[in-house]
Amino acid sequence: MSAVLEVVNLSKRFGGITAVDDVSFDVREGEILGIIGPNGSGKSTLFNCVLGQLTPNDGEVRVDGKATTGMRPCDLNRLGVSRTFQLLQVFPQLSVRDNLILAGQEHQGTMSSRLFGRADAGLGEAADQMIEFFRLSHLSGEQAGALSYGQQKLLDAAMAFMAGPRLVLLDEPAGGVNLTMLGHLRERLQAYHSERQATFVVIEHQMEFVMALCTRVLVLAEGRVIAEGAPQDIRRDPVVIEAYLGH
Amino acid sequence: MKRLGSVAVVAAAIFAVAIPFFLKPYGVYLISTWAVLTIAAIGLNLTLGYAGQVSLAQGAFVGIGAYTVTLLMQAGCPYPLAFVAAGLLCFGIGWILGYPALRVQHHYLAFVTLAFTTLVFLVLRNEEWLTHGTYGISGIGRPTLLGWSTVSARSFYFFCFGMLCVLAAATWWMLRSPWGRAFVALRENPLRALSLGLDTQRYTLMAFAIGSSLGGLAGALYAPLVQFIEPGSFALGLSFNLLLMVIVGGSGYFFGPFVGALIAVLLPEWVRITEGYYLMVYAALIMLMMAFCPYGVLGMVERAIKAATRRNPSSPAPAAVLGVEGTRS
Repeated sequence: MSAVLEVVNLSKRFGGITAVDDVSFDVREGEILGIIGPNGSGKSTLFNCVLGQLTPNDGEVRVDGKATTGMRPCDLNRLGVSRTFQLLQVFPQLSVRDNLILAGQEHQGTMSSRLFGRADAGLGEAADQMIEFFRLSHLSGEQAGALSYGQQKLLDAAMAFMAGPRLVLLDEPAGGVNLTMLGHLRERLQAYHSERQATFVVIEHQMEFVMALCTRVLVLAEGRVIAEGAPQDIRRDPVVIEAYLGH
Repeated sequence: MKRLGSVAVVAAAIFAVAIPFFLKPYGVYLISTWAVLTIAAIGLNLTLGYAGQVSLAQGAFVGIGAYTVTLLMQAGCPYPLAFVAAGLLCFGIGWILGYPALRVQHHYLAFVTLAFTTLVFLVLRNEEWLTHGTYGISGIGRPTLLGWSTVSARSFYFFCFGMLCVLAAATWWMLRSPWGRAFVALRENPLRALSLGLDTQRYTLMAFAIGSSLGGLAGALYAPLVQFIEPGSFALGLSFNLLLMVIVGGSGYFFGPFVGALIAVLLPEWVRITEGYYLMVYAALIMLMMAFCPYGVLGMVERAIKAATRRNPSSPAPAAVLGVEGTRS
């Protein structure tokens, strides 16, 4: 299978600190890659470099073989790369439905067709289906800010999927979500993955969640890749155990 | 409930059409001022209330529009053409003024736009060859449009009110389109908006440009309304006054500027009976109002409706009454 995302010798320094240190990896089509590592190991910085929120000091990022290093996040998103954030990022004063329409509207037409076209940008039905898929139908008209934390996490994920992305990067989707909601979220992510053959990269601390969801796991420590492999092997890897417990 | 909102708008429109027949010329002048300032406030509400970009430059754009239309008319340009030119010029300048907003936000941006307002005032005052400096320009004529003379106070009011309706409808329509959603996204969470494919840079510049062009069009109506312009009218005071209208009416509510401009135009007149103290009383009333309804008059109305709906859960959502403007809570 071909690589959807290639990260080659990527480095990011902040002053004297090297947050991401010469990291290389591929993400193959249709897989769910987990990235784990202790706090401060550079996971989120890596995401931000891949997604254009930060410009890396060295190295290259390629999406479908095309170099995207330094591309603006909005252009990258329109190429089919989507993300969720570690902290909640919904639009609290828009309705749930409008949050989803917004997440898809920039992917079609031009600035002027969006101005003169339909108010829902022709996405009303797709938004309703996405709401249904994430079982938020009863909340469709509510302001997103009025939802519970777990519900907002679901909406956040739904927004990332709205434009039918090829590649989705999820930054701690399970963070702060209760167990019931967590099972629901995992099940929805798996359902979306198998229905659309989407490719995921997931940063996560919650090991059970990673083990159940991911097909391959990459371990970061102090900005470097220290291990890579199937979830069950990673769990027994002495280097990984050392990185997590040795400090 | 939504019907209740429509009924209120229709009733207000009928009132606005009927009222000049019952007012003295000064009263007609006041409501014309209301219509003109509402247009400028709608522009600022778009930039500030919807897109979240703080601007203290709206008064300067009213000035640029007023001077553009006056100088062009003096050069023999027909009014409609000068009117459009004022809007286009302010669109262009507004677009350029938007660039600092791509780098700085909030009170930093307020200072950038404040500096711009001062700059425009200095140009209007010092470039006497063009603007006649502090003497101003008097004797500005009112146009005859398609054979309809707007010379009388009442007919000029109808012209201003007509333009208000047209521009407000266009703004309403834009805010209902995906652009409106994008502007709110810009205000609420630009980082997330960027990651969802929104070209936040272009939308920010657009919010500034469109808001500014509405300021310019208001200026293009202001000049023939007052028939005299001078730089002092467009100094910081006007920008602050327009900001006050947006905040008092309810920033981010479509009808906020209508209400805010009404208060800012009429309240000083009503408290004039206190003679020398009228500005102090006006200031005190504004302070009280902001202390008790920080989200403006319409924000207070929305809360009241929400509270009533909670007691009577069979009613539909309160946001429906306020329509597009209900993006704040």
